[in-house]
Amino acid sequence: MKKPLHPLTLWICAILLAIGVVALDNAYIALAIVGAVALLVYIRRDGSPWQRSFLLSLRIGAIILAIRTIVGILIGVPIPGTKLFTLPILDLPTWMPGIRIGGAVTLERLSSSLHEGVIIATMIALFGAATSLTSPHKLLRVTPSFIYEIGITLVIATSLFPQLATSARRIRTAQKLRGFEKIELRSIAIPLLEESLSRSLQLAAAMDARGYGISRKRSRYRPQPWLMRDNLTLLLTAAAAVTMVTR
Amino acid sequence: MITFSNVSLIYPQSTKTILEDLSFQIEEGEMVLVMGETGSGKSSLLRLINGLVPHHTGGILAGDISVDGISTRSVKPGSLAHLVGIVGQNPINGFVTDIVEEELAFSMEALNFPPDVMRKRVEEVLDLLSLSALRNRSIATLSGGEQQRVAIGAALVMHPKVLVLDEPTSALDPIAAEEVLSVLHRLVHDLSVTVIIAEHRLERVIQFVDRIIYIEGNGDTSIGTADEILKRSELVPPIVKLARALNLSEIGTSVREVRRQTEDIRNNQYSRPLVPSLENSPAIEISRVSHSYSEKSALNKVNAVINHGEIVAIMGRNGAGKSTLLHSIVGLHSPHSGEIRVNGADPTLLKGAARRRAIGYVPQEPSDLLFASSVEEECVLADRNNEIAPGSTAALLNRLVPHISLHAHPNDLSEGQRLALVLSIVLSGNPDVLVLDEPTRGLDYRAKNLFAIALKEYARQFNRPVLLATHDVELVAELADRVLFLAEGEIVADGTTLEVLLSSPAFAPQVAKVMSPKPWLTVADVVHAIEASA
Repeated sequence: MKKPLHPLTLWICAILLAIGVVALDNAYIALAIVGAVALLVYIRRDGSPWQRSFLLSLRIGAIILAIRTIVGILIGVPIPGTKLFTLPILDLPTWMPGIRIGGAVTLERLSSSLHEGVIIATMIALFGAATSLTSPHKLLRVTPSFIYEIGITLVIATSLFPQLATSARRIRTAQKLRGFEKIELRSIAIPLLEESLSRSLQLAAAMDARGYGISRKRSRYRPQPWLMRDNLTLLLTAAAAVTMVTR
Repeated sequence: MITFSNVSLIYPQSTKTILEDLSFQIEEGEMVLVMGETGSGKSSLLRLINGLVPHHTGGILAGDISVDGISTRSVKPGSLAHLVGIVGQNPINGFVTDIVEEELAFSMEALNFPPDVMRKRVEEVLDLLSLSALRNRSIATLSGGEQQRVAIGAALVMHPKVLVLDEPTSALDPIAAEEVLSVLHRLVHDLSVTVIIAEHRLERVIQFVDRIIYIEGNGDTSIGTADEILKRSELVPPIVKLARALNLSEIGTSVREVRRQTEDIRNNQYSRPLVPSLENSPAIEISRVSHSYSEKSALNKVNAVINHGEIVAIMGRNGAGKSTLLHSIVGLHSPHSGEIRVNGADPTLLKGAARRRAIGYVPQEPSDLLFASSVEEECVLADRNNEIAPGSTAALLNRLVPHISLHAHPNDLSEGQRLALVLSIVLSGNPDVLVLDEPTRGLDYRAKNLFAIALKEYARQFNRPVLLATHDVELVAELADRVLFLAEGEIVADGTTLEVLLSSPAFAPQVAKVMSPKPWLTVADVVHAIEASA
């Protein structure tokens, strides 16, 4: 495998692209970027547990898109245009003027809702890709030690996320095997919470016991070098972001 | 090296003192074992040594602890990182980086060591623990024993004078456990590192330790050499039980010592006891089952039959395919090829109440099944789910482990109590087959004994099969009728417990090692044989 990019490069790229996507406000380009990022994640997959966070972020994005579209169709001011179909209008009390639930659904209204949903989903997918490409632990290694408390919180929070998914699956399986077909939220959430809490405490204790944060300065074992490649990647992404913003 | 003077410890919102007025000294280069029942405060004692308790957990500490002259009161745990290395119960939860080499360097980075020193020390530790071949591997892909070695290495790079380990072998198979313990033995003898270790499976560690700290159930603590403590303790390894049963003048801690004392017993002739042969009535049929995870083969054409009323142990090294086989049997996934029938039915198709009646499954983490806020609520829920008389589950639990408070939160129970709760919930469904995945991790001898009795009763009384995957050879010797030995996804041995355990030195229980070549696995076997001949 080739040497990976510096973890910070990937995060900065994700942020730059996200800014560009919002500024450009073009759903097609946003979708194209998601596609490109998905391809990148697929190529660089190595079976690590945080790799799944990209898929998870896509799923969250899809849910947001669905909710945004449904809400957009049901509620809001009518946008004139090609009429697709008409929903019955809900009678609202007079103290709620200007709001309409139901009514005619136009192509324009549908597309504007879809469009906004896609933009939000893209941003989530971008950050999901950044987490799935750089392990959260690697990110901690490049965090300066003067933000020790933040560093410790960061590593716990980010390593918890993929662990949560694995644990949730394990608990679900165990309960399915006990013959619970309808899985209640409570029956998963309680063991999951207990486990995550105790795991986080263990990790924090281990870091404490090993002297993390004692010295103000910290040295680097085989430092992750900032290469020309990182410069080039950043430059290209920044150029793309600037084009998107200024257009 | 370590001095405890009049140490008492109590946790906030708890009425029970964990340790009371404890004083002792540990010298440099000693290996000390901390033993006691589950929940007796072993982990707390270990974590007091580097100040994680009470700095990290809270709690009120009276008295003073000093390590190499530094009082743990005055400094944070991190400031002792160069002095005390600590390895937790589940090393995987304490790893901070993902590559072996980086993990080893982590502490030194945090304490701002110069790069050339780091390089040198990492190389040293890689060689010392034979980790060189794994240096660039991702930690998540290592086996349990390898992970344990990495965790020990990560502590050793700081050149600590004290190494503290909390149940370092509980998740390991006998061979990996021996590997880890021999590393510790070498550290004590070659580098004069002081090692403090907590462990339930005394049979694994007892021969290596110089002294024992025994925390008794009533809060009393005694310290002494292995012989002194084991003479009168309730928790003893099989080898000491044997010495007691045979009324030997001295109790030995190693196989060699006891063998010398029992020569005349081995030289006598004994009639072979008749083994009642079980009738063949298949309950679980496994025919040519293969399974693989993303191109990695986990099971390869496994054939086996498990009969009614039989207790079968599945053994093998970590990653040999034990869990995969159990998962296939309980119907978690259908195997890629081959067929499994549990009492004639395909286990993947079972659902709901029918599943509860067909297969009882106790997972590796028993707490996965618990979600109510009290023991009573769990029991009531089980009664209702299985449509049995109210109170039945609670009665069953009371028989397994008496005196569990019904109002306690499941999370506050000890490991043994929690397993008993899960077992009674699963058994309340009156399942036709019982399957358990590594059930005795973290159980002390007493809890293990109760557990073995419960399983035997279930198998004999109802004539139903019990299948368990485990690393615990002593448990298998006491409990199982038959052993399936897996290696690389294939069954390499399938026979009675006696045949399989005696044929492999690494997997032989202590009594068998002492009494070899006599075909005895447990203290009870020896006593029966002697009584029968007398």
